[in-house]
Amino acid sequence: MSLTLDKPPAPAVSRPSRSGGGPRLLRMVLHRLGTALLVLFCTATVAFFLVRLSGDPVKIILPPDATAEQESTLRASLGLDRPLLNQYLDFLWGICRFDFGDSLIYNQPVSEILLDRLPATIELAAAALVVTLVIAIPAGIFAAMRRGRGSDHTVMTGVLIGQSTPPFWVGILLILVFAVWLHALPASGYGTFAHLVLPAVTLAVYSVAVVARLLRSSLIDVLSSDHIRTARAKGFGPLKVVLTHGMRNASLPVVTVIGLEVGNLLGGAILTERVFSWPGVGQLTVEAISNRDFPLVQATVLFFAATFVVVNLLVDLSYSFLDPRVRTSR
Amino acid sequence: MEQIRLERTADRSLPSRRGVLRTGGLLLGALTAPALLSGCGPAAADGAGNVLRVSQPGDPTTLDPHKQGDMVSMNVLINMFDTLTTRGRDNQLHPRLALSWKAIDARTWRFAIRPGVTFHNGEVCDAQAVAFSIKRLLDPATQSPIVELRFVEDVTVAGRLTVDVHTTVHDPILPAKLSLFGGVIVPPRHLSEVGDDGFAERPVGTGPFTFVSWQRDHELRMQAYPDHWNGRPGVDGLVFSPAPNASSSLAALQSGGVDLVAGLTPDAAQQLEGYSGVTLDGYTGIRTAYLSLNTLERGPLQDRRVRQALNHAVDVPLLIKAVLGGKATETPALVPRGAFGFDPSVKPFTRSVKTARRLLAEAGHPNGFSTTLTASNADSNVAEALSGLLARAGVRARVDLLDPGTYSARLTSDNRGALGPMYLAASTVWTLDGQSIVQSNVRSDRRQSRWHSAEADRLIDAEELSEDPEKRKQAFSDLQRLMREEAPFVFLYQIDNIYARNERPRWKPGSAGVLAMESAEVSR
Repeated sequence: MSLTLDKPPAPAVSRPSRSGGGPRLLRMVLHRLGTALLVLFCTATVAFFLVRLSGDPVKIILPPDATAEQESTLRASLGLDRPLLNQYLDFLWGICRFDFGDSLIYNQPVSEILLDRLPATIELAAAALVVTLVIAIPAGIFAAMRRGRGSDHTVMTGVLIGQSTPPFWVGILLILVFAVWLHALPASGYGTFAHLVLPAVTLAVYSVAVVARLLRSSLIDVLSSDHIRTARAKGFGPLKVVLTHGMRNASLPVVTVIGLEVGNLLGGAILTERVFSWPGVGQLTVEAISNRDFPLVQATVLFFAATFVVVNLLVDLSYSFLDPRVRTSR
Repeated sequence: MEQIRLERTADRSLPSRRGVLRTGGLLLGALTAPALLSGCGPAAADGAGNVLRVSQPGDPTTLDPHKQGDMVSMNVLINMFDTLTTRGRDNQLHPRLALSWKAIDARTWRFAIRPGVTFHNGEVCDAQAVAFSIKRLLDPATQSPIVELRFVEDVTVAGRLTVDVHTTVHDPILPAKLSLFGGVIVPPRHLSEVGDDGFAERPVGTGPFTFVSWQRDHELRMQAYPDHWNGRPGVDGLVFSPAPNASSSLAALQSGGVDLVAGLTPDAAQQLEGYSGVTLDGYTGIRTAYLSLNTLERGPLQDRRVRQALNHAVDVPLLIKAVLGGKATETPALVPRGAFGFDPSVKPFTRSVKTARRLLAEAGHPNGFSTTLTASNADSNVAEALSGLLARAGVRARVDLLDPGTYSARLTSDNRGALGPMYLAASTVWTLDGQSIVQSNVRSDRRQSRWHSAEADRLIDAEELSEDPEKRKQAFSDLQRLMREEAPFVFLYQIDNIYARNERPRWKPGSAGVLAMESAEVSR
């Protein structure tokens, strides 16, 4: 995770150079891509060996009174009797061909199962992102403008509580209030807008806190700088100063974090999906782990890793595009 | 996930670069993103009409009935497929696709198939289809996890509606094994047309409901099959949805999203006690719990008096009342009531800490002893309570909880001591024959057997191989008396099947707790 933020790309030299910018950017992209592939390779390897340490799927698939013969037949037909190294090399070769094997439990290609669940997870993450932005940005601005006053403390305390409350707990509370007491929204399930509201809010709570707090602190930072004082001196109202002059400067770190939050929302959906019986990848992962469904666990772990890697990569690249000092070509 | 979040929080101070950029447009774009959601309309009026909505803890693993072996999948599939025989609510075996059956010799069962039955696609269900189904189940290429038919050697068609099932040994409960997992009949012609994958995608059976749609981990819809041989079912539609944690399913029930919640644990059910509009039904079930004691290794448990002392110390009625909300019934000697072979004249141990202490002292443990009690963490409450009850008699049992996967791997490993000296286990006796619980736990050559007795082996052989039901019954009675005396287990309870429902459904399960909804009705 810290891959990106530890090493922000070095600001380029002041004079944009048409000849040197392209290759440098290309080199950076290639370097980043190489790192990303290495991370994915390591994740795949760790996932492969870790799930195999966790136990024997045949014992879970067959009932306790199965004979040893039935076990060995099933083990052989699942390919689990072959040497570990062979299984590992097959797995890696499979990834290269985008083939993650067949699920041991569902009798279906893993990639199909994953693609089946992906839309639900993306829908949930997108909705949570919308909720995050709609709440966090006004809250951050409001708190920064009222810095040190009671209302700032109130907002920030609320945000802090959100950040420190585990999502499953938030989810259960929301279900209790909105589904059980008020009968306003369904408690679980999938398919309509109403089904989306509670899980999206639950998932967003943490991100709201992260974004709002960062926006507040970087706005405060910016508001104490010279050009803001100048703007105030020109007689602009406080809201206009913040929105037109403050936000522009305070936004870069916030955009970075929002980008990273996208990865977080996609990956952080596991508990939320569990609480709301949401048919997404998170729920699938939990099932796969408890079923010792090796191919499926490997694929979902890789999926989450790839999500983070790609989001990091995009944030990195956007950084150099968005910040003029980093931008090297035209 | 948590690890990643912690790092993120720590990094938050880093990106404080103040660049000049025009993000206004970008932010505005993000704020208008609700357009993303415009595809989602308002909540559909769900569950109206003559449709029954059922929730259980999981989703089927597959819709191919021969490629699954778990109750959650079976609960769904039993509504789309028929089995050869069935268990009624009286716990007796009844005809289903098989009209009658008899053993024509020690190793052959002959089944007469019901005439005039068709699959949902119009294909005829006859002796060919039955033979095909059993052979498909046994074919190693099917990779079926169903183990019940392991003694079946061959199936032959003896007439258009007559099938002979040949076994390697006499299998007295074969007809019972064909009442659920082993007995599902699938359409041969359809399978050859669409293949295994196509069949699993849109299953076709002879059952009371036909497949409509399935969205994994969300809902599976079925509709009534009007041409079913047993008449049209009581509801027009059936919806199964998974709710992996009990609080979600209870919330769904209370908020009107489902009508019936199955698979509730007693402590989850207790949370629901007393809510208006929610009714809890408990029916005596056949999932039977016990503590297995390792008598094969040196230690206090080799002494019969110690094992009896443990049985006296574990106050099962108190345990049922305090931990299970009263939703279980004591079992005196492993075989649950309702199963063939249960002997009501075998009485449970008297619960007495004093007797337990006296027996322990006689066995040379006046100050008790220390041991370990292993359990799956799904049963943590019961395990802790058992440890507390044992402590009152001076037996200090440290509770060792394992995740369910590790637990079952050790339970089925060849190492009989893998779960330690004492472990909490439960077995679902769905064939409703005592054989299925003693068969893996008692006879000395079985994997989980941790008590070796020549007399018990003799009785199990008599019970498993006799053709005369009376002889089997006698062997079961003698076996239970012997086990009650030798106490190789701490006998616990058979747990109720618990259902929570709203006002709409009218339905009663059998003791196996299978969610066959053919007879269910709902008020609109």
